[in-house]
Amino acid sequence: MTVTIRVPGPLRDYCEGASELAMSAPTVRAALEQLERRHPSLYRSVCDETGAVRRHVNLFVNTTHVRDREGLETALAPGDVLTILPAISGG
Amino acid sequence: MSERVILSIGTKKGLFVAEAPKTRKSFALRGPFGSGVAVYSALIDTRGKPRLYASSCNAFFGMKVLRSTDLGKTFKETKSAPAFPKEDGRALANIWSLEAGSGRKDLWCGVEPASLFRSGDGGDSWEMVPGISNHEHARKWQPGNGGLCMHTILRDGDRVHLGISTGGHYLSEDGGATFTASNRGIGAGFAPDPYPEFGQCVHKIAGHKDAPGRLYMQNHGGWADWDGPGGPRPDIGVLRSDDHGRTWRSIAKGLPSDFGFPIVVHPHDADTVYVLPLEPATRTCPGGAPAVWRSEDGGDSWRRVAKGLPKKQSFFTVQRDAMVIDELKSPALYFGTTTGQLWIGRDGGEEWDCLFDSLPPIHCVKVAVV
Repeated sequence: MTVTIRVPGPLRDYCEGASELAMSAPTVRAALEQLERRHPSLYRSVCDETGAVRRHVNLFVNTTHVRDREGLETALAPGDVLTILPAISGG
Repeated sequence: MSERVILSIGTKKGLFVAEAPKTRKSFALRGPFGSGVAVYSALIDTRGKPRLYASSCNAFFGMKVLRSTDLGKTFKETKSAPAFPKEDGRALANIWSLEAGSGRKDLWCGVEPASLFRSGDGGDSWEMVPGISNHEHARKWQPGNGGLCMHTILRDGDRVHLGISTGGHYLSEDGGATFTASNRGIGAGFAPDPYPEFGQCVHKIAGHKDAPGRLYMQNHGGWADWDGPGGPRPDIGVLRSDDHGRTWRSIAKGLPSDFGFPIVVHPHDADTVYVLPLEPATRTCPGGAPAVWRSEDGGDSWRRVAKGLPKKQSFFTVQRDAMVIDELKSPALYFGTTTGQLWIGRDGGEEWDCLFDSLPPIHCVKVAVV
């Protein structure tokens, strides 16, 4: 079950410049666990030590925010795109 | 290459580095590094080939540690930043202090929520120090306005002094393996008990390498008019210890306010100490006229040193790590403001001059002669 993780520009240094990563994972949580193993610095930029997704980072499966589905337990289907999208905000 | 004075300036929008010859007449500025991201702590590590470190408090992607091996011309992230063990339940919110340890690449790091980490490889990997991070008091400490931060790490052989806001002063006498709350004489204005065992809002602690038993503290003052339980607590804001931090006594008499954040000791005289008093309610300069106050007798008396500083309409704050002094024969003080000005006080603060007047809000300033 191959899905694509889309990596935003500010985080690509943590995965050798890749804008997309392919992996096989049945849920968002499983995808993040793989990310932790394969690209720990990238994972740490998305999730804190407790495993929680950072406050200003949003995860979308295709066009739907995971909070509007089943959060980290959201199921992934072959061909799905999991987009990491930081809410760059502030002043 | 002749000796240079290096300033490391942490701001709300990244790190700046300023460099000057020993005359310190003018500084060349470079940066920002890690632009857009707040820097609350920095270290100029002069052991061997100088290295500059800075924390990078990325609100989006978490904490990073930046390192430079070319005197602050370029910076790269270290391989990792401090992180709590997964099962701990705490998550790193900020990095408040970076200090050199005993080994060449040994670093100590105080973080928010208040905990201590050490690195033995120049910041590439970190381990939590359980003696304080898992201290029986640790889950009882409360955050101050700036967060629950471990902002001061002072080392003197096997003695380690930590300053925590709000946790108080903790002392280790076994190299950091175990720590004891050591707050006798340190007041708290926001608790019914004016002198609790721990929980004081310590703002900064400073020491002197030639007088290790002597410590100075800027505590959270401004409680002279308190009329709640326990009564008024005048002069609890500026303190001194002469017994390695076991007991403390007030040295605030003579100051216009006992509230402030930084406290700095003269590099060649342990009796000369500097504070920058602020109004306790607004945390700005009293009367809009900023001034550093200097004692040359260990806090028994104080003198205002403000020549060259604005005389009116200046309402900035100087944060806890934003005032330093260099180690040249006639040392200069430096302080950075929340309005983005960096001031130099030449001849021990006798003559002030604004080096840069439009930086982002300044969180910390470090200096070294390299």
